Amino acid sequence: MNKLIFTVLIIILSAANFYSQSSINPDISLIGRFNTFTNFIKGTSEYGKLNFADPEMELFVDGYLNPFAKAAANLAYEENVLGVEELYGHIVRGLPFDMQIKAGKFLVGFGKLNTVHPHAWAFMHRPLFHQVFFGEGGFNDVGINFSFLLPTGDLFTTLDLGVFKGNSVSALTDPNAVDRGINPLIAGRLGSFISLDDYTNLEVGLSSSFGIFSKGNINSSGNIFADPEQKSFNYFYGGIDFKFKYSPDAYTILTIQGEGLLNNRDALGLAGTGFNSYREIVQKITNSGAFLYADYKFEKQFSLGIKYDYTAGIAGDTPNFYSLANDDKNSTQGIEAWFSYYPAEETTVLRLGVQHLSFNYADGTNRDGETTIKLQFMFSLGPHKAHPF
Amino acid sequence: MKKIILLLLIAVTGISYANIKVVATTTVIYDLVKEIGKDKVMVDFIARGDQDPHFIDVLPSYMIKLRNADILFRIGMGLEMWSDQLIDGSRNSNLKVIDLSSNIQKKEVPNFKPDASYGDVHPFGNPHYWMDPENARIMAKEIYKALSSESNRDESYFKKNLDNYLSELEKKIIEWKSKMAPVQGKPIIFFHASWIYFAERYGIITSGFVEPKPGISPSPSHNAELVQLIKSKGIKIIVMENYYSDSAPNQLARLAGIKVVKVPTAVYGVRGINSYIEMMDYIINQIVQNIL
Repeated sequence: MNKLIFTVLIIILSAANFYSQSSINPDISLIGRFNTFTNFIKGTSEYGKLNFADPEMELFVDGYLNPFAKAAANLAYEENVLGVEELYGHIVRGLPFDMQIKAGKFLVGFGKLNTVHPHAWAFMHRPLFHQVFFGEGGFNDVGINFSFLLPTGDLFTTLDLGVFKGNSVSALTDPNAVDRGINPLIAGRLGSFISLDDYTNLEVGLSSSFGIFSKGNINSSGNIFADPEQKSFNYFYGGIDFKFKYSPDAYTILTIQGEGLLNNRDALGLAGTGFNSYREIVQKITNSGAFLYADYKFEKQFSLGIKYDYTAGIAGDTPNFYSLANDDKNSTQGIEAWFSYYPAEETTVLRLGVQHLSFNYADGTNRDGETTIKLQFMFSLGPHKAHPF
Repeated sequence: MKKIILLLLIAVTGISYANIKVVATTTVIYDLVKEIGKDKVMVDFIARGDQDPHFIDVLPSYMIKLRNADILFRIGMGLEMWSDQLIDGSRNSNLKVIDLSSNIQKKEVPNFKPDASYGDVHPFGNPHYWMDPENARIMAKEIYKALSSESNRDESYFKKNLDNYLSELEKKIIEWKSKMAPVQGKPIIFFHASWIYFAERYGIITSGFVEPKPGISPSPSHNAELVQLIKSKGIKIIVMENYYSDSAPNQLARLAGIKVVKVPTAVYGVRGINSYIEMMDYIINQIVQNIL
């Protein structure tokens, strides 16, 4: 009898397995990226040499859970570390008010570029202000996002509102900083798309994010023996973005895209001078960042482009209370240019680019500009879908 | 008072209004829906006639079109890979998606595990079936069924339109067959693997493709092979869709002394081609004029 039950069970499991293999397997795609580079940064071991970076990989798994919802995971292997870049469920239809809900860990809809995976960018270097205000991985957080389609006729207008844990905007490297605790932040974007004619499209957007980015123990009494008190540090990001695309035929695409961010936040400052009047204070600072690029795809296989970057803070510094997003004194500018070759559609890309960074220190510190030349080979294996406009 | 009289007149005379909202992925489907739905259907399309239907940008403006639609008709068989993202983006949970390939006799269905080394091979078979007018008949019937199912009370209206259209199409099919009779058995080079249904219908020998593999750009070495082929087989024309770049075919034509016939494979693909029948007329006339 047991044998019979076991046999029946095996048959049922086999049938179930067959069904799942043939009908409900998700799409699996793999993006590989390999960079060689040289730089002209004095004092570095890479100066003037041909350097090989470790290969990077993104593994995408996505598919429908049911007629109303999808799920996706993106595992990233970068700098020899495997991490979960994204993992979320997404209800795409069936909710009231044409709402869509996305929950999990994902790229936050602040600005237009942040939600696009880097392999789909026309250029190679993340915009400087992303690095300063969001970190190397962009604005990527755990949370829930509600997306509404607004009734604006022929304009496709979406309003996204999300609540997030806040990992992307906090910096805990400063000795004064303490765990920000459970203080979710808010992020949202109002975006509007319009087709100007059959060949020209434009999207504009306004974004905002605010909340507590950190907490810190500060001594504001002027008495060095007094116990420090815990203060919350708030931030407000305002963003503006646009993307313009002109494509008169299948072989010609001109894309111009830009974003700007205004940052207003609490920063730790010092008041008074001398031993007895030393006081730590919370002060408001305002700074900003922006980028603008143009990419021109000509023929079927070639594109070239240029990007200008500006950000407050010194790109590449270690985040703490006194630098990067909290830095309203110094700034970094960058120019990047690239030439891309797509041998067969967009499954393989060879890209040669150069980026030059220049640094501006308020105290007059003189730092040489940094130039990096990079050759990138990228491939896309599997059915990973093109990103929407 | 005048308004009331007008409303009463409309009610009494049964002046119809569009009551089914339809989006078609291509202009060929758009034309067939117009023929069968006429004024009971409000129809729009996504891929323009001068665009490659394989590669359409996922634009939010297309999502707007789908947002309020009742039915989306598509060619299917993996041609419109982009359409799923539009459907998701439309947030329309009532949208019916009708795949017009369901009753088509499919060609070039791989009997091996297709992968990208074969180029853009469609795993469900070659989706360019509308290039055979006999398949337009099947598509029209599928459209009729879907529209009738959506609006039962208009079933007889759609049936009448279908019958009228099929009758017109039948006459043209006979005319096209007669025109193409001299072309039967002649070799042609096509640009992309989208002519199998057309070639088989009219007995054309497909000698080769300008693309070395489907979706892969022409290469100098492949062009050199084609020049030899053209000379050895006595090929007279290269037929290509008008949305592809003609630089490689023109180069071939110069080297081998043959003609390039550039034609639309969708309605509105060139100015003056406003229906499926006009499109097929144009293609057949161009081929016949240039090959004979």
